[in-house]
Amino acid sequence: MNAASKPTINWSTRRDEKHSRMDSLKSIVDGSIIPTEKIKEALECLIKSGDKVVLEGNNQKQADFLSRSLASVNPDIVSQLHMIMPSVGRPEHLDLFEQGIARKLDFSFSGQQSLRIGQLIEDGLLEVGAIHTYIELYARLYVDLTPRVALLAGFKADRAGNIYTGPSTEDTPALIEATAFRDGIVIVQVNEIVDNASDLPRVDIPASWVDYVVQADKPFFIEPLFTRDPRLITDVHVLMGMLAIRGIYERHKVQSLNHGIGFNTAAIELLLPTYGESLGLKGKICRHWTLNPHPTLIPAIESGWVESVHCFGTELGMEEYVAARPDVFFTGKDGSMRSNRAFCQLAGQYAVDMFIGSTLQVDGDGNSSTVTRGRLAGFGGAPNMGHDPGGRRHPSAAWLDMRPNDDLLTKGRKLVVQMVETFQNSTSPTLVEELDALAMARDYKMPLAPVMIYASDVTHVLTEEGIAYLYKAESLDQRRAMIAAVAGVTPIGLKRDPEVTANLRAAGLVAYPEDLGIRRSDATRDLLAAKSIAELQDWSDGLYQPPAKFRSW
Amino acid sequence: MSNSPVVKDNSFVEQSARQRIKRLLDKDTMRELISPFERVTSPWLAKQGIVSQFDDGVVIARGKIDGEETVVAAIEGSFQGGSLGEVSGAKIAGALELAVEENAKGNPMSAVLILETGGVRLQEANLGLAAIAEIQSAIISLRKYRPVIALVTGPVGCFGGMSISAALCSYIIMTREGRLGLNGPLVIEQEAGIVEYNASDRPFIWSLIGGKQRFESGLVDSYINDSQKSVREAVVDHLNRGVPSVHRTEKYCDLLEAFLHLDTQDQITPENAQQLLMEGGGHE
Repeated sequence: MNAASKPTINWSTRRDEKHSRMDSLKSIVDGSIIPTEKIKEALECLIKSGDKVVLEGNNQKQADFLSRSLASVNPDIVSQLHMIMPSVGRPEHLDLFEQGIARKLDFSFSGQQSLRIGQLIEDGLLEVGAIHTYIELYARLYVDLTPRVALLAGFKADRAGNIYTGPSTEDTPALIEATAFRDGIVIVQVNEIVDNASDLPRVDIPASWVDYVVQADKPFFIEPLFTRDPRLITDVHVLMGMLAIRGIYERHKVQSLNHGIGFNTAAIELLLPTYGESLGLKGKICRHWTLNPHPTLIPAIESGWVESVHCFGTELGMEEYVAARPDVFFTGKDGSMRSNRAFCQLAGQYAVDMFIGSTLQVDGDGNSSTVTRGRLAGFGGAPNMGHDPGGRRHPSAAWLDMRPNDDLLTKGRKLVVQMVETFQNSTSPTLVEELDALAMARDYKMPLAPVMIYASDVTHVLTEEGIAYLYKAESLDQRRAMIAAVAGVTPIGLKRDPEVTANLRAAGLVAYPEDLGIRRSDATRDLLAAKSIAELQDWSDGLYQPPAKFRSW
Repeated sequence: MSNSPVVKDNSFVEQSARQRIKRLLDKDTMRELISPFERVTSPWLAKQGIVSQFDDGVVIARGKIDGEETVVAAIEGSFQGGSLGEVSGAKIAGALELAVEENAKGNPMSAVLILETGGVRLQEANLGLAAIAEIQSAIISLRKYRPVIALVTGPVGCFGGMSISAALCSYIIMTREGRLGLNGPLVIEQEAGIVEYNASDRPFIWSLIGGKQRFESGLVDSYINDSQKSVREAVVDHLNRGVPSVHRTEKYCDLLEAFLHLDTQDQITPENAQQLLMEGGGHE
């Protein structure tokens, strides 16, 4: 081919654009440091209307100085942004849409802001791209949602831009890599700027991935989301915990697992050193965990049950305890924990035997959802944990135990356990005829109902009535009868046929407490290894420092 | 692995009212009076759509502590916030009056009150108030003969009219988690405003009315840890001390004197409060 005939193509438009935007900022910045008071001006230079912007609303830590600053830019200069956010947790995240600075939103989880998102959609101010699970959203950053700008948060930076994110590393590496390596602009807010890398506890993000750092006006917002006060665990939670340990953990020899957040699973954690010990299960189950550092796991760790815990994020108050147990937790050379949500989600998806968690609604087939009408709460990470990954190839005892036969071509399955009380409160059954998620999909004309965990992935449903071993079901009708057998006095449960239930119990497809040798009257709070936050602190030898809202002294 | 992998059941705070009495009394000496089987229950709660309880949230028992005849009343904090109504209040007053009668007959009998209460049960208003007045009158009669010990371990704490009853007792024993005050934090927040007194700022609340602060201000006699062993030891110790020569409430003049000099311009700190109360004769 003749060289002269080849058209001239600019293969670096993204890089040129990045450099031109950064050049416009030269007079404001000091090397890579944006002065705190110049942040609004800087954002108006660095972000152009219509950009894809990833903002570190995480499950826990929040780049809230940057989100507040972004909400203060002039909508005549910056508008129509396409925001990409793992978690929409702060009021200003939605102010962006109300003021016209942003228009489109791709996200995973919204929690507290779920009602307002619904309202903004109805008002035509916010357009949802899609609702994702965490790793699904990270994955799209590397395909069709690559950001122009990333707004992130860390504890400390040096003047060159090396970042210490420490125990709260969470989503940062996943978000930053997609931006930094495709000529996006990376801005990190930190609580403190030090002179040299040697003044940082360790470097979690190297300076060459970072374009700017800015000292925040106040430390980033972070909330203890995973602390459950043992005082609020009831005798019913204890009974369900005993059922889980006896009828699932012990039966299937579950070695590695993820626990959802809730009092049900907190009860299991506190029953391991007592009830679990009395069954002689120490060292035989629950050795490896993918889990935030739940304070309720302390007694099990201290009594030698737990070999390893990898964490999505941290939990306030657990820093010193974690640092003092490096054999169990993943920590850096400096001693502090390193969390990483992307890796922990992958670990929870591919490498563990079991996910067990609760939900707000389960239908007669076993589909579950946390959506209630008008609230677009998103998914977070539960669907990643709560499904059977088709790409898994390594066997384990529990995984193989889910097989219907020993054929060399039959795959095993991850255990996905839905652990729910039959009622949320006296008027709202958990087991329902139809999920509210379907009504929501019709309301908002969504192509897909926001289902958290699909029936086809669920292997067990556990309620205070008993356990339904759904993976053994031979037909859809049998599966429905099994769920009805443990559905108590909910509308679904009332439809069950006592004779069918008796047959299911006899066949081992459904187990009530008596079938597992559990006396309901034994299920009392006395079995909990710790009954209060103070006792958790005692177990930790004073290393756990509960946040003020959990203290009663 | 510093802890043994067994149930940690040595906490007193975590026990129910009935279990607390059982752990406090000498082994096999507990005899419950007006037990739930007698079904003496509040006639007022059901009328207001509230499920009543067969012991009305108060457990009364006779037994021995270190060999000494004692009557114990324990309020169950998990039933209606430990509030005292007509029946529950009368049960405590009756228990104390029983001890007064025994002492008058020459049979020494002490009393221990395990207090987890917000005070009067609002649903029973005046009848609860009257019952608390009877309790206070009985404490004053009994404390001349034998010690009446108030135990405030938390988690509810002791508030309202029953905080006055506690103050009338011969001795008060508290733990870190216990709180003692006339008005509960939420009531003060409502009156004073959240800026001055934020009831959800838990360390702040405990710094003002928690067991440690109350002990260091001289308002209570003993500050102990939460174990069943230390609760029992402290109770035995105070029973052995006998009737105090001067009761705390007989020294009220000294405190009034101190309050006259109090400048309320600035919000009082826990340290200032301690100093003022100690100067006011709170110390022994």
